[in-house]
Parts: sequence; structure tokens; C-alpha cells
Amino acid sequence: MNWTNVKLIFAREVRDQLRDRRTLFMIAVLPLLLYPLLGMSMFQIAQFVREKAVRVLVVGARDLEELPPLIENNRFAADLFDQPKEAELLELHFAAAEPRPDRPRIASPRAEACRAVLAGEYEAALYLPDDFGETARKFQRAIQEWREQNGGGEQETAPTLDTRPEIIYSTASEESQIAFLRLSDLWRRWNERIGEANLKARNLPANAARPFELAATNLAEQTGRHGTAVWSKILPVLLLLWAMTGAFYPAVDLCAGEKERGTLETLLCSPAERSEIVLGKLLTIMLFSMATAVLNLLSLGITGWLVLAQLPQFGPPPPEAALWLAIALVPVSALFSALCLALAAFARSTKEGQYYLIPLLLVTLPLVVLPMAPGVELNLGNSLIPITGVVLLLRSMLEGVYWQAIQFAAPVAAVTLACCLLSIRWAVEQFNSESVLFRESERLEVGLWLRHLHRDRGPTPTVAAAVSCGVLILLIRFFMSFALPEASGFGDFTVTAVVTQLAVVATPALLMTIMLTSSPRRTLLLHWPRAAAVLAAAALAVVAQPAVLALQALVTRLYPVSESLEEALEGVFTEAPGLWHLILVAAVAPAVCEELAFRGFILSGFRHLGHKHRAIVYSALFFGFTHGLLQQSMVACVLGLGLGYVAVQSGSILPGMAFHLIHNSLVVASVKLTPVALERVPLLRNMVSISDQAGLAFRWPAVLASLVLTAILLAWFHRQPHWESEEERQFEAIRDARSEA
Amino acid sequence: MIQVRGLTKHYADLRRGQFVALGGIDFDAHPGEVFGLLGPNGAGKTTALRILSTVLQPTAGRATIYGYDVLTQSSQVRHQIGFVSANTAVYDRMTGWEMVEYFGRLYGIPKDQLDERMEDIFARLKMDDTRELLGAKMSTGMKQKVSIARALVHDPPVLIFDEATVGLDVLVARALLRTVAELRDHGKCIVYSTHIMREAEKLCDRVAILHRGKVLAGGTLEELRRRHGEEDLEELFFRLISEHDASTAA
Repeated sequence: MNWTNVKLIFAREVRDQLRDRRTLFMIAVLPLLLYPLLGMSMFQIAQFVREKAVRVLVVGARDLEELPPLIENNRFAADLFDQPKEAELLELHFAAAEPRPDRPRIASPRAEACRAVLAGEYEAALYLPDDFGETARKFQRAIQEWREQNGGGEQETAPTLDTRPEIIYSTASEESQIAFLRLSDLWRRWNERIGEANLKARNLPANAARPFELAATNLAEQTGRHGTAVWSKILPVLLLLWAMTGAFYPAVDLCAGEKERGTLETLLCSPAERSEIVLGKLLTIMLFSMATAVLNLLSLGITGWLVLAQLPQFGPPPPEAALWLAIALVPVSALFSALCLALAAFARSTKEGQYYLIPLLLVTLPLVVLPMAPGVELNLGNSLIPITGVVLLLRSMLEGVYWQAIQFAAPVAAVTLACCLLSIRWAVEQFNSESVLFRESERLEVGLWLRHLHRDRGPTPTVAAAVSCGVLILLIRFFMSFALPEASGFGDFTVTAVVTQLAVVATPALLMTIMLTSSPRRTLLLHWPRAAAVLAAAALAVVAQPAVLALQALVTRLYPVSESLEEALEGVFTEAPGLWHLILVAAVAPAVCEELAFRGFILSGFRHLGHKHRAIVYSALFFGFTHGLLQQSMVACVLGLGLGYVAVQSGSILPGMAFHLIHNSLVVASVKLTPVALERVPLLRNMVSISDQAGLAFRWPAVLASLVLTAILLAWFHRQPHWESEEERQFEAIRDARSEA
Repeated sequence: MIQVRGLTKHYADLRRGQFVALGGIDFDAHPGEVFGLLGPNGAGKTTALRILSTVLQPTAGRATIYGYDVLTQSSQVRHQIGFVSANTAVYDRMTGWEMVEYFGRLYGIPKDQLDERMEDIFARLKMDDTRELLGAKMSTGMKQKVSIARALVHDPPVLIFDEATVGLDVLVARALLRTVAELRDHGKCIVYSTHIMREAEKLCDRVAILHRGKVLAGGTLEELRRRHGEEDLEELFFRLISEHDASTAA
């Protein structure tokens, strides 16, 4: 890596961007204008909403003598509000006692009120039944009589009010909701007045029913942090969104724009290596991503201090927020910059590049917004989710929960760093790929495309075919999950599992093999392996079992399975007529179908990438995602790596099938294993513990031994001579020649 | 100087499927000569030159420049070549001077030497009007001059011109051809691709006629004329291509 070249490219790109008015507008001008304008608007809207009168239809508020005044001079009584002027915010309209002749007769006044509110004629209606006044007076009298009769201490049931006033409103309308809140508050106060009047009539002080007033001390207000709860949610999300937006537009200009203008080829002919070009561009994009985020947050912070702090639900942003946001900004910008760079390198033009913003947002937004869901807090499991972990960590820092934040800072940093490195690597690969750099626009014609699929089919599928197969399996599985019955017993489970394996997993892969390849045998690795490979794979499944179960336990501890799901799964296993039935459904079917699809078609396709390890990782990811349940998917991904490696090194699908079959059988058997049965096998008893909470678990020496033996068996597979794809051979040859040179 | 042996390049696209852009071509080019790569559009000229400039990787075969392999020693190769094509554009938001200076610094030329060399190139190519002018405001001729200046800034022994006169008016094209001839006289090894036969006749010492990824004929113009009994290069070119298409169709 020549750092002088990186510096030169960086300096050129920065100068280039600074000479671009659009970039400057996005980075500097927009944030300086946006937030003050938004703040002003919010302030205005809040004022407007707070002060706007709402129309209320009053039905049946007649004959309310002997009760404290509810309505005076066609308004609600002024003493029912904190400020008498607030009475004007409820504009009263009184329903006619008789229905209007121009309206069709509706069953009741209440139904007429409902219709009027739904039609938007009024924001809400206060409905008092016809007998409300009379019933209220009867109640007052009944209270009086009850007290006189029970004055001596005899206990009798207190009278109840047998009438039900009602506020009619609609949550479909914001104004209707405001009307509801105002009416509810008003009604509560009127009720209190009635209670006070009752007490007064019985010579009791008004506070007899409320002897203690609860004082509230808001420490946040005392320390000037009453806005923290809101800001700690807003600021991390904005930081991430602006870091991404700030990275995206320069990335599109620096990659797709350069391709479009023809300057990229000029640069590729220069002495700068591709990695130096990528790094120079990446640093530029990072700089602009950070500048956009900083300027936006600065503008928002100043607006917050000046405008939003005036609103009661907001306070000023916590002062130390700037420090935490600045620290988080560097890795976040690096991650988004690398992602945007790789995506933009793929685009042929700036126009095409801009289309990729929405998919990027669709992938990123759920991870950004997830921490806002109730109950999502910073823990080890959540800290391992990319982006979500950063948002949660920042939130904890802003809320001042430092101890919790420090505990999970390391996993968040590790995951973010790993994602950054992967994204950078992806970006470098995009710049090394001729098909990406010199992609020419081809009009997609379905007929032409189908002819191409048939005419140009090779012995094994293409990468695109492998991806299509994986996506197709995921999509069919998703839609089938709605069509198939929910597994409430072993019968349903059998139907679901077998149909899923045959129809969803195996059929697409087999059909695509026949239609898109000229050698199904080579595609599906249908070769006889050496007996030693099958035996080694079978042994691997057995020795890896403790490690896999330990991994499963770890995953479940990080991301607990809901109790209802756990019970449903247990129910399925306990209802099974016998172990062999379970093995047939949960081990044999997946071993055949999943191996054909994932280690057959999909892995063969990915081997055209030229890196067997990458092909194994991608096929394992598809294998994992197909398992649906997050906790299963994670473990399946790891198992998929092993299965892929076995398939590649042995050159046959059969050892993988043997591994899969034995592994799943052992998992099923372990669920059925009871403490009594365990007692009968002394060797197993020393290695395994069974508890109600954790189920079956291997003791740590067994897990350690499992890891060592697994490594030994994988090393044996590593030494086996294996078939290489043309691309893999070419890649190896270039690498060897370069190292020699 | 430039040695190309069995150079092959395969592509895949929807319309043609897997197709051979270069089907194992061979040629050599030496210092002090202009080697012309002649062929119609789609013959494989640009692919061959992109491989020589290390932008593309060959599917098979070998190409060396000054003994450096384009595939395995691409970095050294790029130091030996200057590449100008109709596709190599200039940056819109950089002046002519900034752009040439940028590439000079990428080649690691010390500042004082670079300034001296740039003054010389700007004077030789008569491009003082581009010094302070942003790329976006340059004419096509100015842009092409900046491209040539960029390719010459590190004084490479090998220069590759790929359809460099496409889109240029007659005056600018003539000036460019004159520049190429001067560079040849300075001992540079030049590979010049074109489909304009008059340019080849004026400029090239030796040529290879390329069609559908194959070299149909190669040698000096005199040798070609003698071998095929055709004085006019354009006629000779047309005949060779027609014969090849007819034999392929048969």
C-alpha cells in the first residue's frame, strides 16, 4: 500500500467534491437551514394545535339542576379549567331535542352523534342519556338516605349510578383525539366538583376524599436533563441516517459518476493500485459523511437549545452528547462509507446509483429503528446486531447509564469493526471486478434472457443462478409458512417439515439443475466419495456435537426463545410416536433435500466466484437463513460452513449428507434423552448434565475435547486433494505468479 | 519491448452469451516505431489495449511490456506506459494543470522535476490555454491534449493510443498525429489503434489487421501490399475482412 498515492487520491477527491455545488448544498447549506426551519415549524404547529378550538356536540345535557354547573352561557363552566379562557377551546353545539326534518331519522340521538363525528361535522360528542339529570339527582338523594340509614355503623351496599355518559370520538383524527383529551379532563374535574359538593353537604371538608397530594420531584429537571429521554432516542437515529446520507451522494459521484464521465478508466491506468484508489475514495466519503452528520447534529443541537427547549416535552440536548456522538461517528461513517462505495461502484451511472439508496435505506432503517421498540435494551445479544448495537450503546451513553454502556462497548465495537472491514473488502472487490467496472447497459428482454439461460448453460450453475435459487427458496418458504398449518402436534409438524423439505428446498434446486446446467451430476456433486471421507464426516458429526450444543446454548442465552415457542417445540417432540419417526422427519429429509440444494446447486454456483471459502460462506448463509428461526439460523450458518467445507474437500455430496443425518439424529435423540436413560450410560453421564432449565448440556471438558477433535478432522479434510473450478484455478495461478514475481 | 502471445479474452453477455473478444492474438512492437492495430468496430482492439494497460485481465495468453507481465506485474507495467483513448476523459472540476500534476505526483515524480516537465509538455503541446481552465469548460481538442499530457508526464517508453482521434476535428486530429510521429522519433514504442486507414498509412510502421478477435494479417505496409497484391490499404483491409467473414459463414 502506497500511502502517498492514497493521500493524493484523497486530496483530489476532496477538492473535487468541494467544487461541486450539490455536495456543498447537501453537506453545509441544507443542515443550516433545515433544522431552524423545522424547529420554527414545529413550534408554530404546536402553538396552532394547542390553541385551536375543537367542535363538540353536546347531546342531552339538560335538566342538570342541583348539580355543580357544567355548562354556562353555551360554554363549559369556566371554573372547570385552569384558565377560564381555555373554555373557548371547546366550541359547543347542542343537539336539537327533536330530529331535524331535513335529515333521515336515525335510530337514536347517540347514533346521530356517532354519525356526525364520523362525518367530521364535530371533533367529538359528549353524550348524556336522557335520564342523566334525573338519575344523578336520585343518586344524590340515595347517598343522603344511605348515610342516614347507616349512620349507626350498619353496613349496607352503597348506591350506584345506573347511567352512563359517554365521549364519542375517533382516533382516526388528530383533532378528535385532542377533543377527547380536553373533554376527559373536563369531565374528571366536574366529577370532582360533584364529589366535593357531596362532601360539603355532609359537613365534610373537600379534601376528605383526597387527603394526600403526591409531590413529584423530577431529578432530570433539576439537573437540566429533562429532555434526555427524547434526545437519546432522536440523536443516535439522526446520526446514523445523516452519516449514511452524507456518504451516499459523494460515493455515487466518486464511483458511478467517474464511470459515467470516463475518468475512472484514466485513474485505473495510473500507478495507483485498486486498493489505494478504494482507500482514497473511502476516506473522502468518510470525511463527507462525518461532516454531514456533524453539521446536521450541530444545527439540530443549536435549534434544540433555542427553539425546542421551549416545548415542555423537550428539553435541551444533554451537553455531553456531542462527545459520545463524535466517538460513535467514526466507525459508523466508516461502515456506511464502505457500503455506499461498494454499491456505487456497481452502478453504471449516477442515476442508477441513486436508485440504490432506497434498498440501502430499507436494509438499514429496521436496524436503526429497532432500538425504539419497547423493551429493546442494551444487552449482549442486541449489542451483537450491527447498527442496532451502536444506537443502543449511544442511547445508554446519552442517558448517562455509563456502566451498562461500558459493559457492552467492546462487542458493539467488535461487530462494527468487523462489518467495516467486510464492507471495505467488498468495495475493493467491486473495484477489482471487470464485470462491475466495465458493465455495459443491456436491455433486459425476457425472451432473450430465457434463450441465454438455455443456450449458455454450463456444466454447473452461474453465481446469479445460485443466488436466484437461494432467494427463491427463501421466498417460497416465507409464503408457505402462511399456507401450511401451524404445528400443534407431531402430525402437523411432519406435514410441514416434509412438505417444506421436498417442495420448498429440494424441488427448486432440482428443477434449476435440470433447466440451467448441462451436468446435473457435477452440479449436485453426485460422485462416489472415498469411504474414508464418509467415515470422517460421520465421525465429525459425532465429535462436533458437544461444541454445537454449547453454541446453541450460547445463542439461546443471547437471544432467548419465547416460552410459547419453546413449549410448542417440546410438544412436537414429546408427541412423536417414536424416535425413528422423528429421525425420519427431522434428520433424513433435511439431510437429503438441504444437501442437494445448498451443498449441491448453490455451492456449485458460488464456486464460480473463484474463492472456495467465499462460496462456502455464501452457501452457509443461505442455509442459515432458510431455517427461519433466528436462533436456529445462527447455528445452522456455522454448521453450513462445516458442511460446505466437507462437500468441497470430498468433492461429493454424500459425506455431507452423512454428517447432516447423524448430526440431526443426535440432536433429536438428545431431546428424547431423560435423566433415567442417562444414568444407564456411565460414559455419557460423566460428560453430560440434564436440567429442566437448560436441557441437555455437555460439561466443559467434553466441549473442549469436541473442539480439538473437530479441528483434527477438519484438518484431515483440508489435506484431501479436491476438485477446483476454472475460476479457482485461475485465481490460484495469478496469486502464485504474483507472489513469484 | 511489447510482446503479445496467444492473448485471449472471453466475455459473457445476454445477447451473445459467452463470446470471444480476443481469440489468441500475437504481435510485437518495438521502440522507435508506431505499431498499428487496425480493425472495424468490435474487432477487439480496445480489449487488447485495455489488457496491455492492465485495466482488464486476459483469459489466457501472455503479454509483456519491457519484460513485465501485464497480469502478474501490473504495477511495474503501468509505470512503463502512457494510455490515451477516446474513453479516457479529464476531470470536470480540475484545471488542465492540476490534472497533469496530479498524475505526475501519482507516478512519484519529485515536485521540481515535475514542474519542469509539465512546462515542457504544455509548451510542446501548445496547451497553455488549459492551464487554468476547468475540464468541464474545455473543448474536445483541449481535453485530448490534456489526456496526452497526462500520458506523457512520466516520460514512459511505451505509449498506447486507442482510437485517439475519434470525435476530434481535422485540425486537432492532424496535430495529434504529428505529436505521435514526434514521439516515435524520440524513440517511444507506440501502439496505435484505429479504424481509419488513412491515419494508419500516414503513421504506422507496422500493422496488424484485427477482426473478430483474430489477427488476419500483419507486417509493414509494404509487406502487406506485396503479399496480398493490393496497393490501397483500405481495399486490402476490406478484402481481408470480407474473405474472413465469407470463410466463417461457409
